[in-house]
Amino acid sequence: MPADLVFMMGKYEARIPGDRLYAENHLWLKSQDAGPAGQSRFQVGFTAYSVRLLQDVYFLSWSLDPDSPVRHKQEIGEIESSKAVSSLYAPRDGRVLDFNAALLQDPSAINLDNYGTGWLFEFETGETLLTPPDYAALLESGWEATQRLIKGQMND
Amino acid sequence: MAGKKVTVVISQGQGKNPTKRQLEEDLAAALIMEPDCDVSIIPHLYDLTPDHTGLLFLKSIPGDLVIAAWLFPRAARWVLDRNGVKGQPGVSLLPAADDEEDAAEPEDAPADAQARALGAWDVPHRKIYCLDLRQQADYRVYRDEVRRISRECSVQTVDLMSWIQGSPQAAQLERYLHPQGANPAPAAAAEEDPVRRRWYPVIDYSRCTNCMECIDFCLFGVYGVDSVDRILVEQQDNCKKGCPACSRVCPENAIIFPEHKTAAIAGADVGTAAGLKIDLSKLFGAPSALEQAVLERDVELVADGRDAVGATVGVPKRQAHKPVTRDALDELIDGLDQLS
Repeated sequence: MPADLVFMMGKYEARIPGDRLYAENHLWLKSQDAGPAGQSRFQVGFTAYSVRLLQDVYFLSWSLDPDSPVRHKQEIGEIESSKAVSSLYAPRDGRVLDFNAALLQDPSAINLDNYGTGWLFEFETGETLLTPPDYAALLESGWEATQRLIKGQMND
Repeated sequence: MAGKKVTVVISQGQGKNPTKRQLEEDLAAALIMEPDCDVSIIPHLYDLTPDHTGLLFLKSIPGDLVIAAWLFPRAARWVLDRNGVKGQPGVSLLPAADDEEDAAEPEDAPADAQARALGAWDVPHRKIYCLDLRQQADYRVYRDEVRRISRECSVQTVDLMSWIQGSPQAAQLERYLHPQGANPAPAAAAEEDPVRRRWYPVIDYSRCTNCMECIDFCLFGVYGVDSVDRILVEQQDNCKKGCPACSRVCPENAIIFPEHKTAAIAGADVGTAAGLKIDLSKLFGAPSALEQAVLERDVELVADGRDAVGATVGVPKRQAHKPVTRDALDELIDGLDQLS
């Protein structure tokens, strides 16, 4: 299995496991099994980077039913944490198969085990995803803008 | 100049959130005991139709006014302005969760970026203070701020006297209630109904440069111009509930939808977003402002049985060759865009 990568957010080490793929909107996609021809099935969750920015998740809701086709960047849900609110968007064109029902009762697994039991939904897509080094490079290039965004909004 | 009273109007929150109601009631009860203030409660300011008694009452207030609402002060100010309740923006010293360099008069001392803005017009000398009820949980903070404002107002005798002599209010209001040919949409048939939720844009004229991008982009006829070609929200009830697309294409971030969940669209001021949460939507894959505006407009077009037009109609172009001066809110919005 490829080694995990680490992205330094200031002093915080955001781990990027080598056993899965990524999307630009800071989700990981871990291959489950082959879907229909040309499609792959993935479990999807927040990367350590996103969880670090969100901090404690209070509330998660989805705006579509399981087994719905989605377009890339289509809004699919909402999240509220101690630090942030955000809409959530589909990582690629594809199909959202099912949601992690446990999180709707108690989203704390997102914080406790974001790469495991804190997975968000199952997703089927035939599109290309980012490799761990791709994702690490993306974080590197976006880190300044992210810091500006956060500082701009928090005025500190 | 004793006996000068300040009028405090509490604008109720939408819905029946008990915490909000409690704060409104506690504040009202506390202010009734104050010798120098008159207190009234009206339904949610943004939802009032032009002929609602709450709005008529607001228009009838001659002197300094404090409005406490579940709105960003900038949103409250321009909702009032739109409805002909005009005044100089009073500077509230309401302590924020983390105290900033004040809500520092965003329109009194416009920076370069606002130099091209239309600005509010025909504003009387009285002051309007907008307090954001979401900022603090304890009614006593608001009561103390009202006391402070009340003292501030009674000290400024020169301003008040000169204003009272002139009594420009009625004539001015008449002009704003009935601008030439462009009456703000009358409340069609809803007049006797209890207040219903509304959704419409509010223009911040301290930022608006009259560039007309909004009137080009909106295909629902919400915008118009007055007799001197100033942009205005002409048919506000043509606006599509939930759609903030025009706000996203506005190059000056001058269009406010007070009930939108994104603080920048709901009228958050630069430097007063204290206590608000960060919006990470860009980070999690939200489309760019223009992409999203186009998507939102298409959804509403299709819902109306019309054809989606994508980016073929009314996308910003007038600004292409103009030099741009920027301020902190521009930086914030662009910071969001760079994250895609």
